[in-house]
Amino acid sequence: MKDFILKRMASIILPFICIYGFYVIFHGHVSPGGSFAGGIIVGLSFIAFSTIYGIEKGRKKLPEKVLVWTESYGTLWYGIMGMVGIVKGAPFLANKLAGVDLGIPGALNSGGLISFIGFGVGIRVASTMVTLFFTMMEEE
Amino acid sequence: MISAITTNLPVFIIIAPLFVAFVLPTWAQRKRLVENLVISVEILMLLGTCYLASIVLLQKGIPIIYQMGGWSAPWGIELKVGSLGTFFLLTVAIVSLPVALFARGNLTHEVGGKERVARFYVLYLLLIGALGGMALTNDLFNVYVLVEVATLSCCGLVSARNHPRAAKATFTYLILATLGSCLVMGGIGFIYIVTGHLNMGFASQELGRIWQNNPRVVWMAFSFMLVGFGVKSALFPLHVWLPDAHSVAPSPASAILSGLAVKGYLICLLKVLYNVFGFYLMRVYSVHKIMVLVGMVAIISGSISALTQEDLKRRLAFSTVAQVGYIFLGFGLLNTKGLTGTLFYLASHAVIKSTLFLSAGAMLNATGKKNIKDLSGIGRKMPITTAAFTISSLGLIGIPLFSGFVGKWQLLMGSMETGSILPVSVIISGSVLCAAYLFPVIRIAYFGTAPEKDCKDPNLPQKLALIFLSAAIVFLGVIPGSFLELANRAAAELLVLR
Repeated sequence: MKDFILKRMASIILPFICIYGFYVIFHGHVSPGGSFAGGIIVGLSFIAFSTIYGIEKGRKKLPEKVLVWTESYGTLWYGIMGMVGIVKGAPFLANKLAGVDLGIPGALNSGGLISFIGFGVGIRVASTMVTLFFTMMEEE
Repeated sequence: MISAITTNLPVFIIIAPLFVAFVLPTWAQRKRLVENLVISVEILMLLGTCYLASIVLLQKGIPIIYQMGGWSAPWGIELKVGSLGTFFLLTVAIVSLPVALFARGNLTHEVGGKERVARFYVLYLLLIGALGGMALTNDLFNVYVLVEVATLSCCGLVSARNHPRAAKATFTYLILATLGSCLVMGGIGFIYIVTGHLNMGFASQELGRIWQNNPRVVWMAFSFMLVGFGVKSALFPLHVWLPDAHSVAPSPASAILSGLAVKGYLICLLKVLYNVFGFYLMRVYSVHKIMVLVGMVAIISGSISALTQEDLKRRLAFSTVAQVGYIFLGFGLLNTKGLTGTLFYLASHAVIKSTLFLSAGAMLNATGKKNIKDLSGIGRKMPITTAAFTISSLGLIGIPLFSGFVGKWQLLMGSMETGSILPVSVIISGSVLCAAYLFPVIRIAYFGTAPEKDCKDPNLPQKLALIFLSAAIVFLGVIPGSFLELANRAAAELLVLR
């Protein structure tokens, strides 16, 4: 595409969209949205990048290997966070029982392990959206 | 360290296959490593399940309750390791280990390159994890999530073979299974509207108190659950997806789909019907009569459709429809003997049908054909495979000394207790029909003219898998012992009046 204005605008806006996605992911436990919605926004920033700058550049930004690894280990990360409870002698997925500091209610660090779990889910959702997009574009 | 493992064993058994499934795509290029990981996680699962089963047997009916995250029942999610849960978990572990072993020797032939094999194993382990979860969970919404995980991995397994027919079968299955999921979700929603609980124990208590306030909603919940799980477990009029899906899948996938996946939905239905609604409400709404009736129709029509099939795998798939009919019939009998028999029959059918599908797959791969008449004389070329097929056929028909007999006998006793002659005669004629569609295969295989093509028994892992499964069939038939004891206790617990 030879659209100068679109490309310039995208290069300014897309980084902020990506960061906003991570903002939504990390604030999942105190504000609307969460890891799934945030992950979609992060994925969307990459999808928009590859529609505007061409699929080749998009693939270069996120090679297939990176996508596979984030998908696999993002999900595994959830499980590992659940294991923290077991290591500390509490049940699976325990949060306060595992001795994690829950902080002041409403503050960013008040979720204990939840924001860490959310990070894993978020990058997994983002990479899944991008993979789906690439797969659909390939089929045409 | 060891106490941490034993106290958290219920959750480890569910998450171990899932963990391995998550990391497999990153190691797709290293085929040996992938296969070894899958086999070792299956072995660990079997050991853990045996440990849990021994504890449950020793504790005399007090279930182990595991609270996720330490939150207690009405708020948190529970895993309940009772007799029913360990019984089904044992079935899953016993069947899935040899199927994984068989897949090790066979997948590249049926599925394709390394990437596709790794994807197959991911779906396989997700299915096993979901089935383990279905066995243990005590939470209605968890049931829905696990049903959905299992359904999507089944769809992937059906389409694992790169073939247009597989794509068509998967699409039909996906549409119908999604319909089933919607109905299950609706049923869970209705139960939640009436009771305000998702935990099975609390929902059941609440339902027993206030079902008279909105009887129509409870009725809707019943019918949604029956039809939803009926679609997923291929109950007779809703079985249209099964013959295509189970016959085009690669043979390890057909074995696991026909043997275990269908049974997982049946166990979920059993939990919802008996643990949530309770058998008193089933009687009030006459659900048990519907189940017995539909089960009888399924037995006869499934067997007759199986008789007319020329394709061996399609014949076995239709036979699954008939066997699901037996299980539905048993669920509706509402007495301890009938339910014990049904549970044992469910487990023995899981073992038998996976043996049948695996040995049939080995025969069809060796000859390269798929019709029954092309198998003439194969018994002389492939002795072990044909022996496994024969043993499992005898088990499915219900000959004494094989595992099908024990379950069918108890089921027969249970249906005699109801005082009606019709279910008894249907069960017996179902066995006769079963013999009618399986014996011709054995006759052709042993006494037909020998094929010119040089076909041999499959390689070592596949042979080991077939021998393990055949031994399990004979073992369960000769010494059902503690396995039958578990089934008996599970049936008694399900029929407690609450």
